[in-house]
Amino acid sequence: MRVPLAWLRDYIDLPSDTDQIIRKLAALGFPVESVETRPHISGVVVGKIAKIEKHPNADRLQVCTIEVGAEKTLTIATAATNVAEGQIVPVAIIGAQLPQMKIEPRKMRGIDSEGMLCSADELGLEAEWFEDGIMQLDLGLPLGADVVALFRLDQPILDVEVTANRADALCMVGIARELGAAYGVKLRLPDATVTYGGVLADANGVVTQSFDSMDVRVTLESVDVRRYVAQRVSRLRVRPAKTWMRVRLALAGQRPISNLVDISNFVMLELGQPLHFFDFEKIGAHHIIVRDALPGEKIVTLDAVERTLDPTALLIADENGPTGLAGLMGGQISEVSETTREIVIESANFVGPRVRRMSVKLGLRSEASTRNEKHLPIGLTDVGAARAARLLEQEGGIAHMPRGFGKTAGHAAQVTFSKNDVTRLLGFDVHDTQMLRALESLGFEVSTILTPAIADLLGVSEAESDAVSSFEVTVPYWRSDVAIAADIVEEIARVVGYDRLVAEIPLIGEPSLSSAPFERESAIATTLAGLGYHECMTLALQPIAIAERWRASGLAVPPLVQITNPLSEDQRWMRFSLLPALLAHAERERATRPLRTFEIGHVFSDAPDAPQERNVVTILATTRKRADQPAWRDDAFLAAKSDVLALVRAITGVDAAIERDTASGLHPGKTARLLIGTTVVGRLGSVDPRLLRLHDIDDDAVSADIFIDALPAPVVRRFIAQSKYPAVARDLALIVPPDLAAGDLVATFRLQPLVRTVDVFDEYRGPQIGADKKSLAVRVTLQRDDATLTDAQADAAIAAIVSELQATYGATLRA
Amino acid sequence: MAEFHDTLRALGNRFDAALAEAPNERALETVRVDFLGRTGEVTLVRRAIGTLPPAERPEAGKIINAAVAELEAKLDTARTRLEAAEIGKSLGDSIDVTFPGPQARVGTIHPVRRIMNDVARYFARHGFAIVLGPEIETDANNFDALNIPPDHPAREGLDSFYLRPDLLLRTHTSPMQVRSMRTSGPPIAIIVPGKAYRRDAVDARHLYQFHQVEGLLVGRGIHFGHLKGMLTGMMRELFGPEQDVRFRPSFFPFTEPSAEVDVTCPGCGGAGCRTCGGSGWIEIGGSGMVHPSVLRSVGYDPEDVSGWAFGCGLERIAMKKFDMHDIRDFVENAPAFLEQVG
Repeated sequence: MRVPLAWLRDYIDLPSDTDQIIRKLAALGFPVESVETRPHISGVVVGKIAKIEKHPNADRLQVCTIEVGAEKTLTIATAATNVAEGQIVPVAIIGAQLPQMKIEPRKMRGIDSEGMLCSADELGLEAEWFEDGIMQLDLGLPLGADVVALFRLDQPILDVEVTANRADALCMVGIARELGAAYGVKLRLPDATVTYGGVLADANGVVTQSFDSMDVRVTLESVDVRRYVAQRVSRLRVRPAKTWMRVRLALAGQRPISNLVDISNFVMLELGQPLHFFDFEKIGAHHIIVRDALPGEKIVTLDAVERTLDPTALLIADENGPTGLAGLMGGQISEVSETTREIVIESANFVGPRVRRMSVKLGLRSEASTRNEKHLPIGLTDVGAARAARLLEQEGGIAHMPRGFGKTAGHAAQVTFSKNDVTRLLGFDVHDTQMLRALESLGFEVSTILTPAIADLLGVSEAESDAVSSFEVTVPYWRSDVAIAADIVEEIARVVGYDRLVAEIPLIGEPSLSSAPFERESAIATTLAGLGYHECMTLALQPIAIAERWRASGLAVPPLVQITNPLSEDQRWMRFSLLPALLAHAERERATRPLRTFEIGHVFSDAPDAPQERNVVTILATTRKRADQPAWRDDAFLAAKSDVLALVRAITGVDAAIERDTASGLHPGKTARLLIGTTVVGRLGSVDPRLLRLHDIDDDAVSADIFIDALPAPVVRRFIAQSKYPAVARDLALIVPPDLAAGDLVATFRLQPLVRTVDVFDEYRGPQIGADKKSLAVRVTLQRDDATLTDAQADAAIAAIVSELQATYGATLRA
Repeated sequence: MAEFHDTLRALGNRFDAALAEAPNERALETVRVDFLGRTGEVTLVRRAIGTLPPAERPEAGKIINAAVAELEAKLDTARTRLEAAEIGKSLGDSIDVTFPGPQARVGTIHPVRRIMNDVARYFARHGFAIVLGPEIETDANNFDALNIPPDHPAREGLDSFYLRPDLLLRTHTSPMQVRSMRTSGPPIAIIVPGKAYRRDAVDARHLYQFHQVEGLLVGRGIHFGHLKGMLTGMMRELFGPEQDVRFRPSFFPFTEPSAEVDVTCPGCGGAGCRTCGGSGWIEIGGSGMVHPSVLRSVGYDPEDVSGWAFGCGLERIAMKKFDMHDIRDFVENAPAFLEQVG
């Protein structure tokens, strides 16, 4: 919100140091996003055009005699066309500093010109928003007065951020009130005393008699209008607003239009209550109805756009149809115009979410709707109407009695809090008087329920008595955000300053929840980094193209989880696998080989009862293709397998078993599952060539998924002392059928109790052993725990194994 | 006997000559085998003892043993000399130490996880558990239990990604406050690192997917000062001992009082720079004392216990730590990026 300090100073005396005010606001919870400084202007005074003569030597120039007070007159030649005798205008005298120039004495076609008449632009105001030509000031301003001082044109404008709970502070008075509390100075609240048709209201605003019996009727047909105050004001004349009001609005970023429109905007910015003025004569049957829109009903709003509505829209209507969108924007049909003589002030309170939904649906926002969509205080409606009526009176209008409909502000909320609430939440003590002063300066009324002295009378010990001091607080009507003791504590803390918080380290016992899942993720990342893999993080929302390309290539994709309200189609689908993003990365980074990456993240699949997510780590190792590799062997696969097994062992303390398997995205003949016991903890395989083709990757690529949640808790392995007797190593070459898995061969070796290690270290296929055969080279070590193994014993054991292999698999020893 | 002496002397002379000629240790070994080996010259001489009269034999044995000891000592000396010469020679070798070696197979941890680990380590040291949670949440956990009312703007799909009317991608890690407090009674001390999602258009400062770390401490006697203590400690762990933390009043539905957390700008150490807009402070997250409604929604008694919660964006911290200017770099994973800051 733009807050011109020029305007703020109407209500409160503030120091001249802007930075100090900014720091104060931030400490109160109103950070200043930016500061707009004003151009340096000096030497501009109020002048009256006493006489205008034609310039003797120039058709386009006029020579003005300007009174600038103290019997002093200046002769100033001007090219402006909107000057007339009697006008009050800003005059830059000799030596004046304007944004673009310094005023020097000069001759204009032979006439000595002693200064310059200024346009709004030359005073640093938006040129388009003011008179085309010389700016017009109010009659009656003191001649010779300094214009910059008069309108505080030197004061910067702060862009203040107001949190969603503080709709009451979305206005000048609201901000001034906060600063008043912080500085401990009193506010000058705006005048809202109205003389209804000449009869002064009593102190409570109660008037027994209306100025005119024919007034406006209001019917509230929706529960989403909580209160509606309508007040008729007559005998108005539409003209420009007073200069001070136009300048304040312009500095606040609001274009001045006319006295009536400006007053409604002014009151909204001043008090935070959005208003709407209807032309009284344009309200059908003088009957205002607040109701839901009918399906297809149309309205042309003030921005000249025709909008088609549905029943989610809340309308201000009359008996002929819609006249405005509630809390959002008026309609052209009842708009105040040049000829308006009588108006109805609407000062209403709507249910915020209703206004917001309408605003979102119509794609229309306004200064009014940004306030109305929040929780505005109901009591503000009456105050807003009264203030507008007062300002309209100053424009010569005559106000009728206001008429309120719907809820009234009701009883002010009461909150009880104790000193203990303050110290237990903040951790530091605040003196009683300081607490009371803080609350009272924000408009709270505080009464003490229990003081140390009373506590003493009640027999509460002295030690406790300070803590039990308790207070009852009456919340001012505009602070509907304050309802509980903790809210009061925040108010006190804001005013005394959060800087008083003392940093302290809490003493905490043993954690009651487990950190194991986090530690496991962390260990996975550390282990894979140690194995040479780079951790990536990729986006979880994806376009449908990814799944479609998989499907088109004949690859299965699980049921996808859909975002119902994506920002774009590129982000509609939750990732079903981490592999596509890692492959896209490998495709993008094709210059880097080998490229070993991994990601830890959730993958999603849909299911009838609820979408499922599971935590996986996916690795991808992309290496340059080896040209000399036979079809029955894949070194890239083997290398990645070693890494994955090392990872599983590092995380669980257990060696996973490997079994042939298939999985979507992986090569059907080069895929395995990892088992711990009977649990599948992961899958590993060379990437399906169809996927590699999709990504235009011409390298060996091996990928694995480890299902993190399926991994067993880590076990600590027991130490088994090694035999102190020497081991015997034997190398065997076994000719076996080509489909015999090395794993099965090893398993057979392990059945022999003397076998300690089995290592299949080579595979050969070729003419020397004939077709449909392969040779596996195995190094086996045998050992006894109780004695030295003799050669004869080793030979016997090997012979037994070979004969077992022969019987089971038809294996023979290679000659 | 005299002849015996002569034989030994001659043998000794030949031995000395052979030693002197031996250029390396292998040659020395040949000399040793030729003279002292099982079939060496000394053995031949020793066999000749049998030809001596029995009375002279012990004396001859002593002489031979003494001679053997002398030969072995000479051999050792020669070996030591040769070794020293060889080491001396290799000490003269010199290589180009700047010649590049083969690439080490070293991986990296993503910078966001590095920050996550740093934060986790700090809090774990002070007794906090580090817990993880699901990314798909119910709106009850993401909003209702956190005192965010049904008509709050965040719930209307402007800021949240919805999967079903009552399911969404969590917009913050805060629902884990609720899940954890329902699992465990007070006192509870947790931090929750993890992904969160908000419907933001992507640019240099925004990603719709980001990481947060949530902190929650509830127990008897827990106050706002404890939050200041822990966050100050965390920032000092991340950015060094000069770090300070300041709180500014703010508003969050699930805390009261609430505060924005500012920390000393790591770019300038508080002096004021472009990164911090000249203020010397940067905002890293929101915090506050847990709202009594939240405590009640999980069955805690706000009269008995109090606590605080905070949430901050890990990418934001990482960007300050690594002097990054585009949040999208985190999901690009360019090898150069990972190798520098991973």
